[in-house]
Amino acid sequence: MKFFLNIQHKTLYVLLSLIIISCSKEDPEPINEEELITTVQLTFRAPGITDQIVRWQEGSNNSDAISLAANTQYEVGIIFLDESDPSDIEDITEEVKEEADEHQVFYEFSQLNIGLEQSSSDTLDSNQNPVYINSLWNTSEVGSGTVRVYLIHEPVTKSSSTRDGFAGETDVAVDFLITIE
Amino acid sequence: MPLKFFIFPLIFLLCFKSIQAQNCNLKISGIIKDLHDSSPIFGAVVRINGSDILTQTSEDGLYFFNQICPGKLIFVVEHSNCNSVQREVILSENTTLNFTLEHHINELEEIIISDNTLKSLKGSTKESRLNSDQINKYSSQGLADALNTLAGVSTLKTGNSVAKPMIHGMYGSRVGIVANGIRLQDQEWGADHAPTIDLNSFENIQLVKGASALKYGGDTPGGIIVLSPSKLILKDSLFGQTIINASENGRGGSISTKIMKTTSDGYYVSSQFSGKQFGDLLAPEYILSNTGVKQMNISLKLGRSKILSGWEVNYSRFQNEIGILRGAHIGNIQDLLRALKTDVPLRIDPFTYLINSPKQEGVHQNFHFTYFNQTSNKAKWQLDYNYQANTRKEFDIRRGIPASTPAIDLKLQTHNFLVNLKWKTKFSMDYEWGVNGILQDNYSNPNTGVKRLIPDYLRYQIGSYFLGAYSPSNSFSWDWGIRLDQNTWDVQKFYNVSDWEERDYAVLFPDFDVQQFGNKLLVNPKLNFLTLATQTGISIILGEQFSASLTYVLSQRSPNASELFSDGLHHSLATLEYGSLSLEKEISNKILLNFSKNKGRFKGTLEPYVSKISNYIFIGPTGIEQTIRGAFPVWQYDTTNASFWGVDAGVDYTFSEQFTFDINASYTYAQDLINREPLISIPPFNSSQILKYTSPKKKFDLELVNHFVSFQNRFPEMNFTVNTLQDGLIIEELVDISTPPSAYQSIDFNFSLYFNLIKQSTSSISFIVNNITQTKYRDYLNRMRFYADDIGRNFQLQFIFSY
Repeated sequence: MKFFLNIQHKTLYVLLSLIIISCSKEDPEPINEEELITTVQLTFRAPGITDQIVRWQEGSNNSDAISLAANTQYEVGIIFLDESDPSDIEDITEEVKEEADEHQVFYEFSQLNIGLEQSSSDTLDSNQNPVYINSLWNTSEVGSGTVRVYLIHEPVTKSSSTRDGFAGETDVAVDFLITIE
Repeated sequence: MPLKFFIFPLIFLLCFKSIQAQNCNLKISGIIKDLHDSSPIFGAVVRINGSDILTQTSEDGLYFFNQICPGKLIFVVEHSNCNSVQREVILSENTTLNFTLEHHINELEEIIISDNTLKSLKGSTKESRLNSDQINKYSSQGLADALNTLAGVSTLKTGNSVAKPMIHGMYGSRVGIVANGIRLQDQEWGADHAPTIDLNSFENIQLVKGASALKYGGDTPGGIIVLSPSKLILKDSLFGQTIINASENGRGGSISTKIMKTTSDGYYVSSQFSGKQFGDLLAPEYILSNTGVKQMNISLKLGRSKILSGWEVNYSRFQNEIGILRGAHIGNIQDLLRALKTDVPLRIDPFTYLINSPKQEGVHQNFHFTYFNQTSNKAKWQLDYNYQANTRKEFDIRRGIPASTPAIDLKLQTHNFLVNLKWKTKFSMDYEWGVNGILQDNYSNPNTGVKRLIPDYLRYQIGSYFLGAYSPSNSFSWDWGIRLDQNTWDVQKFYNVSDWEERDYAVLFPDFDVQQFGNKLLVNPKLNFLTLATQTGISIILGEQFSASLTYVLSQRSPNASELFSDGLHHSLATLEYGSLSLEKEISNKILLNFSKNKGRFKGTLEPYVSKISNYIFIGPTGIEQTIRGAFPVWQYDTTNASFWGVDAGVDYTFSEQFTFDINASYTYAQDLINREPLISIPPFNSSQILKYTSPKKKFDLELVNHFVSFQNRFPEMNFTVNTLQDGLIIEELVDISTPPSAYQSIDFNFSLYFNLIKQSTSSISFIVNNITQTKYRDYLNRMRFYADDIGRNFQLQFIFSY
């Protein structure tokens, strides 16, 4: 029986290989991943102090630490970048601004007393809610802790004081260490 | 065509003995079965030619005469849907006379081939079946829901309308679905896809536990589901059926209509259409937002059967659009934790028929050509060609991209060739031999802007099988089979350079062609798997009431595309899922036993089974990957050794002609032998009890069904932790995705009224209520359990018109 099977196998292999040759496959195209965010960059600006820029970059594992002065108001700007192709860096912040109704930037602080406020230069959504792309941070006493930076997609509400309150999906959640001196 | 000439030789001749004394007290009894599938035929008239003695068969196909005189008699068996059968018998003592009737012209040739066996699909393996009445009941639902009524079958859901049948704790590639004699090729892409098939196109569903249907493949340790179309009648007729369903839950319904024309010279043409639409479904306390569904199916069939040869062409197209619960789309583990902590989904929108992202869209097209020829009265060959084109698009919630751009866009094309030869010998031996070739092409559209979940590939499969059945008498049969398959993969896949190196693939697979594009590698893996399957079984009938069977099955399965190549983020569980190129074939040894009591007031079946699987392929957590959305658990496909055992049992008790009570129950035990822990997603103990009242003359019936599903206390621990910020402090919280939900119970009610619109065709109106008590429950086998309760009460009206 085995012999019988083998012969049949061979003839069918020949038949099938004919079909196979006739439909050889082209090489697949590499995919240009579109919604990718690889980098979060924060800029801290306060009168009389040099601008401070910190970055969180995918793959590098460590984020920069933030150092702020006590009892100071900082204007904090955030940008999101796709740096997966170093020769073609894309600024995703523009998309976030265009879809302001579907997005929310949010900051949560641990072991630090920092007040988060709306900045006059911020992007507003159609209901005049701040997206916090530009925000004001008011530091008080000296200390050290962490800030978790969120980009929330399609939040259920746009006005909340906690991350849980916004619900929605998390597109970005990265931590930075902060020291206030 | 002298039909009788062909039918006559098939009739098996029993008990010929010389005539003894002349006293008219002989008892003649027997069973009338369908030759095609051995199902008992109800309402067949058995009469003795030349006399006015006649009787009708019971629902079990049984008939009985007493006070028959010895001598030469001619028995005639007639049924409205069948060709009548005559048999001349010389009687001298009490005799059992069994008959097979044929009402499926396609199978008529088998009459000549297997003349003295009453064979099921495969004699020894116990099968369960659903007939057209049971299928009609689930007309507006899916295949998995209908099969769920059988003991040993559960439903695995990855969405409220994405349901797959699960047999003995196995699903997906481990369960084969065969429609019109060809395996459905749509389970290659992983667990998140329901079979793309419309129940309404079929009239008979058989469930073969334990994979002994080697003709259709040797790689399904769970079992095979065989869907067969309506049977043909060899006479001029035109008939059809329309089913209309209206449901309160989801404010939707379905319509299905089929019509068939047959002619006496063997031509037949049939067409079927069905469509359904539901809006958002309702849990007992809230709307399950974005769980609407749309589905459309059309099929056409044309053929001619001339008894000795015949052909058929058929085409079908199935299309669906399924919404995935909005609250189940999450971005990271913290989102998952938030969903787990609340009782109510985080997003509930007003009721709508609109289906938004996240959603799935699928189209399955099927073209089939078959030809058979009976070259002699001992041999028959058949040729099948089947082409399937399967497309799937999945839409996620995305940023900066039009909603019409899918995140997954796959097209799978399969060519299937089958040559099958059947012949019989003396000594009650039947053989079947065949060759099966499959060519499969998967294409993943790059315009999605998302990394391919499944890569482009070509897969070739060539297999051959040899089956035999030995049935020396009506009370004993032995069958066996062997199948060998060669599977070859030719894949083109992009890997991240870092992943390729991390997994040591460069060392393990140095022969694969590699081409570098920036930080990506285009790799051309070529994989080969040779698989062997064998099965053997015996079946015996013990006396009047009892039967038993024993089956052993060896099946080997090569890994599927998603197990080998998956690569991406799973949005409903926030896990990164990766395939593994190092997987080897899965080898399963399974023994199934069946004991049945088939007659009397008290009927029952008991089916224990045990199996051991080496290289059992599963997905489990292996680590954490840091991403811009936080830490993600990484799940990777791997192999282990596993053992399964379980019992399926059913008991029917007939109180009277009017009242019956059925209980079905099944239990499955599955253990990972290497990691010494239970396997994930194994159905907990479950049972259903059905109390049914049928009015005299079957004018109406009432049915009360209670479903009970217990708590699954055997589950692997797959939890992880996440750091969250609370009141200005970072705390570590446990994300419990392992603990199964509590046991639950739900009750269904069904009232059906029967009437005849046209003579001989029964139409009906049914009123169905599911989950009467609005039980709030979550099911362990439904992935949506992390996010929301299961579906609440549903009132449904169903009209079935036959004409």
